[in-house]
Formats: sequence, C-alpha cells, structure tokens
Amino acid sequence: MNERGVPRRANRAVHRWRLPLTWLALLLVLTVGMAELEGVFRWIETDSRQVIYDRADFVTLLGRHLLVVMVASLLATLVGVSAAIAVTRRAGRDFLPLVAQIASMGQTFPPVAVLALAVPVLGFGTLPIIVALLLYGLLPIVRNTLAGLQGIDSSILEAARGMGMSRGQVLRQVELPLAAPVIVAGIRTSVTVNIATAALGATVGASNLGDPIISGIVNGNTAYILQGALMIGLLALTVDSTFERLALRRARR
Amino acid sequence: MIELFDVTKRFGEETAVDGISLRVESGELCALVGTSGCGKSTTLRMINRLIEHSEGEIHIDGQPIRRFEEDTLRRRIGYVIQSTGLFPHWTVARNIGLVPRLLKWSPERIESRVDELMALLGLPRETFADKYPDQLSGGQAQRVGVARALAADPDILLMDEPFGALDPITREALQDELRELQARLHKTIVFVTHDMDEALRLADKLVVMDAGRIVQQGTPLELLHEPATPFVESMLGGDDRGLKEASLVTVGERMLALGPRLNATARVHRDATLRQALAVMFREHADRLTVIDDEDIPVGELSLQRLVGNTRHE
Ligand SMILES: Nc1ncnc2c1ncn2[C@@H]1O[C@H](COP(=O)(O)OP(=O)(O)O)[C@@H](O)[C@H]1O
Ligand SMILES: [Mg+2]
Repeated sequence: MNERGVPRRANRAVHRWRLPLTWLALLLVLTVGMAELEGVFRWIETDSRQVIYDRADFVTLLGRHLLVVMVASLLATLVGVSAAIAVTRRAGRDFLPLVAQIASMGQTFPPVAVLALAVPVLGFGTLPIIVALLLYGLLPIVRNTLAGLQGIDSSILEAARGMGMSRGQVLRQVELPLAAPVIVAGIRTSVTVNIATAALGATVGASNLGDPIISGIVNGNTAYILQGALMIGLLALTVDSTFERLALRRARR
Repeated sequence: MIELFDVTKRFGEETAVDGISLRVESGELCALVGTSGCGKSTTLRMINRLIEHSEGEIHIDGQPIRRFEEDTLRRRIGYVIQSTGLFPHWTVARNIGLVPRLLKWSPERIESRVDELMALLGLPRETFADKYPDQLSGGQAQRVGVARALAADPDILLMDEPFGALDPITREALQDELRELQARLHKTIVFVTHDMDEALRLADKLVVMDAGRIVQQGTPLELLHEPATPFVESMLGGDDRGLKEASLVTVGERMLALGPRLNATARVHRDATLRQALAVMFREHADRLTVIDDEDIPVGELSLQRLVGNTRHE
C-alpha cells in the first residue's frame, strides 16, 4: 500500500461496509421501534383497531427467525459441501450425474411442497421448517460446490498430484481454496432464499417473522403483513450485502 | 538412471504406448519427439506414476517404481508441464516452496532454497517473490514452474512440452537457459516435445516415437546422418536436415587453426554454429571466414570446403 493508504484505511473500511451497516441499522431500529410507526400504519390500515402486531415482540420473532435460518444453513452447508466433495472423488464418481441432476432440478421444486411433505412425518413446530429449509437450501450449495470444484483448471490438479501432494492435501490446499468464492456464492443464495422461505414456518406452528404476515392474511390486516415483510426484507438485505462485501474482499486477496 | 523395459499402456481398447524400451542415463537429457497423440505424454506420466503402466517394468536407479509409495516417488521427481499448473492462489515464492514443504523442511531452509532458485532462474526476489501467477508473463511463469520442479533438488526432471506455449524468442531464451542449467546441475531429464528443432538443440539422446512405438533412438547427429525410416527423415525436415546438422556443430570444431593466410575480411565467432557461418558467407559473398575468439583475436580460418565437411583440398 502507498503512504496515503494507511491513515485512510479505517475510514475506507467504514465506507465499504456502509451498505450492510445501513440495512442492519434499519432492521434494528424497526425491531425495537415498530410501535413508533403506529401513525403510518394506521394511515395504511384504516379498518382495524390494532395496527401494530403485538402477539409477540419483534425481537423474539427476529431471534427465532435467525436461529431457524442459521441452523438450517449451517447443516445445508455441511451436508451440501460434503456431498459435492464426495461425488467428485474417485470413489463417489458414479453418483456425480445423479447428484448434479438433482441439484440443478431441485430448485424448481416449491418449498411449500417440501414443507407439506415434511409435516406429516415430523409433525408441527420448528423441526419441519428446519428440514424444509435444509433440503431447499442444499441445492444451490451442492450446485455451486460442484461448479467450483469442476471449474478448476485440470493442469493445476495434474501439477499438484505430479508434485507429490496427497489427495487430501490437494483437496484442502488447492481445490477448496480455489472453489471457495463459488461455494460462498452458493451459500449466499441459499441463506438469502431461506430467510424469505422461513416465513412459511408460521403456517406449521414455528413462530418467527412469518407470524405477522400469516396473521395479517388471516385477519385481513395489511399493516401486519407489511411489518413482517419489511423485517424479512431488511434481514435478507443485511445478510446478502454482508456476503457481497466478503466476496469483494476475497476477490481483492 | 531411468529404464523402461517393454512398457505398454492401454486405455480400454486403445494402445497408447506399445512395448517401448528405453534407457536414460544419469545426467542425460533425453528428448521424446513425435507427432501429437503418439504417446509421449503417456510415457512421461508413467514414469512418475500419474498413469500406471499396463505391462512391462519401469526402473529408477535399478528399482522398480511400483516399489515406491506414489507420493514419495513424485516428490523425488521434478515435473514441469506446458500450462505450468502453478497454483493461482499462491505467491511465486510459495509455489516454488511446495515440494520442500511437503517434505517438511524447516521454514528457514525452505526460504533460503526458494531464494537460491529464484536467483538461479533469473527471477529477482524483490520483484517476483510476492507476485501471483496471473501477474507473470508466459516465460516468467514457466521459469517459476522449472524452479518449483527443482526445489527439492530431485535427480530426475520430467518436462512435458514446457516451452510449447511460448513465443519463439522466449522459447529460445528458455532453451538456452535450460542448457546452461543442465551443464551445471546434470539432472536426468526426460523432455517431451513435438518441435524437432528444440529436441535437436537440447537432447543428448533423441527418441522418435510414432503411434506408441519408438521408431529410432540415438544422438541427434546419429539420427541426422542415418534416419532409420522415411518417417524419421520427414520429422527431421527432409532436405532441410543438412541445415539442422549445421546448427549442431560449432565453427570451432571445423575450422583450420591459425594458418598462415588469414586474409579473409569476413569474421565469425568460434562458438557460432556452422549454420550461422554459412549465413555470414552468404551475406558477405565470401567463401572463407576468419574465426575469432571472445577478444576478437583471430584464431583460425573456415573455408566453405571445410564448412561442408570436405577437407581433401586443404
Ligand atoms: N487418460 C486417458 N484416457 C484415455 N486415453 C488417453 C488418456 N491419455 C491419453 N490417451 C490417449 O493416448 C494416446 C496418446 O496420448 P498422449 O500420450 O497424450 O500423446 P502425446 O503426448 O504424444 O500427444 C492418445 O490417443 C490419447 O487420446
Ligand atoms: Mg502430450
């Protein structure tokens, strides 16, 4: 870095993280201060006496929502990345076409259907939504991990083996680092989509930011729907722009 | 020393390498030449077991290679490929230090070895150590590839068309560097190329392959003098092969040492090739050249007669 770069570095970091920080700030403000906006919502929803959702406070709903998404995404990442690695090894090669096909097709399968299938097996509550999100979130991660691993120039792998790296060393030191940006992009898609999809959990009794939306639909209260949608939207934007920042930082090395 | 005894490689139905026997002495540079698809790379990669041979035996220093553990074997053999295969996410210095790190050398020893190699390959440390492969020119990247292959000081070096992707000027520069390196290091080298001129310039032993078999092997001059088949002859450039031979012999080997006459005004250096001398004769319309040494002092004379190898009239 040049001399001018050093004192400005802290400044620049704030500048670069401005977008994710802005979304986060808005999200937090709304979480604790939704009631302050009563005037606005009353103007939108003139028919109802109650315009601020209050069956649970937004901090709790946000926390539950995040927890479900985090658990599901973590599991999806673990399972998805492992599966993609397994089918690109010599022993698992036979399953590659099958897994690749499922991964590219699966995205067209609606999450509601996954949920509908999960409830009879797992009952109501948090578990079916975690399973649904896990399955649904698996696909972009598997697809991207496969793309990342298969996109590596074969001469790099030939050199790695030819120099005497073991298969494990090639995987850890060469394949995964080179595929990382594509894998992270898959995780980003998975998490962002799951933040929205998690709202469906409210229909199977997993209380989260989907609650105000469902309740709003059932009671014909537009203000509720808007509050849930705003929170989910801001959460998705916060997480997505954070991933984007991280991706840019990686690209710059 | 590398020995192949009746080695065959089949890929399914197809026979890529068909019963070849070959012996590469220690310190020798053996060039495998042939048209694309004739099995050169397959032969090379059987030596470091990137490909397992189907039949026959391959020995290194008298030991069958199957007796060694794969990774151990490969860490003892340098490997250079056309597309370099450098790791794009590692710096030049880290790339070069790969095998020493696999061999668990101490960090200090790796660092000093990397320094040594960068100097050897003409890559100033300050400029290149922290660069990434995508910041290098083709020639620089291939130098790093060679440095990486030499890092753990292996006795054997396998090179698969290492200069094939470079422009002609860079290619010749790297060929010269390899020759100088080899004169100092005396590695046992198997060098694959489809470029006969490159093979003639570099090889101690030349092996011509066609359709998975060895058609002829010998020194470059042996092949030029007596190509065994029309195929070898055409590989050597048909009628052009006289000129190729002229590129292999230096003026010093043919000149008449300091004689009484020395009146020729056109001059040529003692280490120039006969081909270059011929070019000077053409340019100067001269049939006689004065041969000079590094200090520009005349040391002999080269006549057209001598140049073409006819010494009867001298
Ligand atoms: N891994 C492989 N699987 C199947 N066939 C191969 C493989 N590698 C090489 N071959 C075949 O073996 C033959 C020789 O290939 P190769 O040794 O790469 O030729 P060269 O290096 O002389 O151009 C070619 O016909 C090629 O198609
Ligand atoms: Mg080849």
